[in-house]
Amino acid sequence: MTANIFLNGLQYLGYILIFPGFLFCFLCGMLLVGIDRKLVARMQKRVGPPILQPFYDFFKLCGKETIVPAAAERTTFLVAPIVGLAALVVIQLFIPIHGFTAFSGMADIVVILYLLLIPALAAILGAAASGSPYAGIGLSREMVTIIACELPLVLVLLAVAKTVGNALGTGLCFSMSEIAEYQLQNGSLITKFSMIPAAIAFAMVIPGETGSHPFDTAEAETEICEGMHAEYSGAPLAVFKLSHAVKVLTLTSLFVALFFGGIGTGIIAFDGVIVFALCVVATALFISFVHAVTARLKIEQVFKYYWTVVSGLALVSLVLAWYGM
Amino acid sequence: MNLANMTDYHHFPIYSVMVLFLGAFIIASTGSKPSKDPKNPAGFRAWIALCATALSLFFLGSLVKPVMLEGEIISYWMGSRAIAGGYAIGIAMEVDALSLFFALLIATAVFVSAIYSIRYMVHDECVPQYYVLYCMLAGGVLGLVLSGDIFNMFIMVEILTFAAVALTSFRTKVYGALEAAFKYLVVGCMGSTAILTGVIMLYAQYHTLNLAQLANLVPGTMNNATKLAFAFLYIGFSTKAFIVPFHPLAADAHGAAPASISVLISGVLTKSGIYGIIRLTYFLFQTMNLGSMQFMLVFIGSVSMFVCVTMALAQHDFKRLLAYHSISQIGYVLAAVGLSTSLGISAGLYHAMNHTLFKGLLFLAAGAVLHETGTTDLGKLGGLSKKMPHTTVLFLIGAFSISGVPPFNGFASKWMIYQATYQKAVESNNIGFLLVTIVALVTSTLTLASFVKVTQSVFFGQMPKEYENVKEVPFGMRLAMGILACLCIVTGLFPKTVTGVLTEPAAKAVANVGEYITAMGFKSNLPVPNVTFAQVGVWEPINWLLILCIALLALTIPAVAGKYDRVSEHGGPLGAAIEMVSGKNDQPTVDENGEVDTKYQLFYGGEKNVYSQVGGGDLFWGFKHNWRHYFDFMHNLHSGIVNDYALWAVVALALAIVYMMIVL
Repeated sequence: MTANIFLNGLQYLGYILIFPGFLFCFLCGMLLVGIDRKLVARMQKRVGPPILQPFYDFFKLCGKETIVPAAAERTTFLVAPIVGLAALVVIQLFIPIHGFTAFSGMADIVVILYLLLIPALAAILGAAASGSPYAGIGLSREMVTIIACELPLVLVLLAVAKTVGNALGTGLCFSMSEIAEYQLQNGSLITKFSMIPAAIAFAMVIPGETGSHPFDTAEAETEICEGMHAEYSGAPLAVFKLSHAVKVLTLTSLFVALFFGGIGTGIIAFDGVIVFALCVVATALFISFVHAVTARLKIEQVFKYYWTVVSGLALVSLVLAWYGM
Repeated sequence: MNLANMTDYHHFPIYSVMVLFLGAFIIASTGSKPSKDPKNPAGFRAWIALCATALSLFFLGSLVKPVMLEGEIISYWMGSRAIAGGYAIGIAMEVDALSLFFALLIATAVFVSAIYSIRYMVHDECVPQYYVLYCMLAGGVLGLVLSGDIFNMFIMVEILTFAAVALTSFRTKVYGALEAAFKYLVVGCMGSTAILTGVIMLYAQYHTLNLAQLANLVPGTMNNATKLAFAFLYIGFSTKAFIVPFHPLAADAHGAAPASISVLISGVLTKSGIYGIIRLTYFLFQTMNLGSMQFMLVFIGSVSMFVCVTMALAQHDFKRLLAYHSISQIGYVLAAVGLSTSLGISAGLYHAMNHTLFKGLLFLAAGAVLHETGTTDLGKLGGLSKKMPHTTVLFLIGAFSISGVPPFNGFASKWMIYQATYQKAVESNNIGFLLVTIVALVTSTLTLASFVKVTQSVFFGQMPKEYENVKEVPFGMRLAMGILACLCIVTGLFPKTVTGVLTEPAAKAVANVGEYITAMGFKSNLPVPNVTFAQVGVWEPINWLLILCIALLALTIPAVAGKYDRVSEHGGPLGAAIEMVSGKNDQPTVDENGEVDTKYQLFYGGEKNVYSQVGGGDLFWGFKHNWRHYFDFMHNLHSGIVNDYALWAVVALALAIVYMMIVL
């Protein structure tokens, strides 16, 4: 009995620390960012950094000195990046990989939507605590970007909930693992034509949520010195870079889980690889390619784009799903 | 009367109201001479008020077991009168789970705010009178929710309105206080009069004022006069809840009133309005099975939700901003309650409770800022987190709660509201309710945005020079905030326990009108409904928190071991730059050639001179630019002229009458 509990505990600890927790997030996230940078460089006819460059950056930054500005509120400034990263890794634990979910029955899709706010909020609070005016502008833009992305995300998730609920006969389904289960039985959701606009809308949200071109107004190196990260250096900055990488992984794997579920073998190791491969494709298409061909938008353009074009697409899906198509 | 008889819990409802009024009379009879203690100008009177509120809370708390858990409905006749000749004549109290639920909220908020008042009111004049009015207000609201007859409800509405008006203008020297109180008085009196008119119209027809008896008689015999009475009563209670179109009054009143009173106005007074609307629609007239009535409440709730959150985004004053959020959250409550499903009612009541807790906490934090700095202007404040670290943390807990960030209580209840609205949409196959879900979800994010603005412009960001000597608030005030913050976290982490003990019994009571009628001694044919609270969603805050803690630990250990926060102690250009900024080394760094190296000043010293261009109001320019026509329109609409607001009240009444006549 005791041994059983001990083994269970060890298994869950393994989930949190190794797969699909920290180690997996760290490796895959960083790889995704590395691939993204390489791809963008190639598309722009540059050589680009090696794919492992994000790892080198991370470890180099960790070795650097941490500078806390005099105007900063020290505790919040230093704790914020860590809380953000931890919260992101926890979300990864709720996203199914093929049929496998590390912790199922604990949080569903709408909760995940709100859990995604925590890392953003941590970054915002850290930026606010730094006391820098650049960070002030950065956080205001980040918040507007969050509002902008929220509406399409909500619509997409409600559309998915309704579609799966219709098929299951309950009318509504918020559970992540049930959505995965449904796709195992009936094939990926993307094969339903009513879900295609939603998938496109979600794909458009990914660069906004991860803060990449053309929606990177909140970081905008050339105008506001990376905005929210302006005052960060050393290990906290490394943690932020890692958080960004994990966020890319989280959003792409959420995309895969929602629309490309049901593709897999049933063996976790292979499924992990397949999901990762799909994430790479998603990153390449929705982040790298978009990054390479667009220029940065202004913040009010970002907002307008999301609340009109992207939300419109998502709404089409929701209405189609509502009428059972 | 022997002791055993007196300690029977059936007397407790009247005791809980009585101690508050008794406290008010005792304080009033001790004169208005202030005490010599500079830390407590009201002297022993403050302790009387505190004891009265504590006793009141105790009496109500001991009713949880019989009423909430065992489902008893306490009906209590004053002066041993009872039903005579088929009519309920006399003063009755009837306490079911719904009444007790609201009474507990009220008693908690009143008690916590009384703790806070002691140290908060030190700078004011006439503090003894403050406590008289305070106890009157508390007793009035409590009497309203515990009362078993509709005329007493009106009496209590009058008591609480006048106490609230007087307390709003308590700081007569504050700019706008008298004006705010005047507006509140005008529209508040219109509301009270509307309630009285409704009561008269009901009494003329049914010859009774007893709620249970009316609930037994009215639904079967609806005619134009009862519909008219319904419209009047509905508008009357709407003014007490400050829902659209009465929201501008709340903003003015909160801006001027002392923070401890704002807690009562937002956490307690608005709840009494919501309570009145629930009693009216579910019990007295039993109209909530009609789609048109559901539409009305849900529509007004959603409009309140969205309009007030956008109004809040445009505010420059901490307390006015909170006031608008207050109505926005009441909108959630109304929309959820209006769904007329048991999950919806349970979710709405849960949110009502959470709103009392987190909004109380936020107003107290605003009061703490006002107490120390003398202003609540977002443009003037900044960087207070270094001077008031505890207040900052407590404020953040409140801000996270109201913004619906997991795992705080606001999320738990909003989450239930999202599900309830979506479920209702699916069940009734009505896409309109889906729109409510979307509005609720987006409003939640806008709320977050608004609180990011407050956090940035009050607690973080640059600190103006004049606040360098600001201190943390006294322990008594922090204690009051701490109690509410703990409650916010606990009710967020154990949603199932809270709903099981508090909101589900109350929601069952709402569904089971027949029992309410029979408990008073009347015969009712209403069936006992089968109530279930099935949810489609899953959310296990405790487990999530456990995982998060393990994850945090896993990150923190390497961070601490790796000296995550090390700062170079010696030399080096970067270290020198830091020392320069922090004032340790005012000499500019000199490089090898003897030239002044200003490179690092630009990066780390620059912000001292570059004052943030981001003012409190323009923080979300990107959002507001796209909505500028809407914001301009709303700005012009809220003219601040009382004539306009009175006109709105008349128009609302007219619309309500027309609507009721058509649909009922």
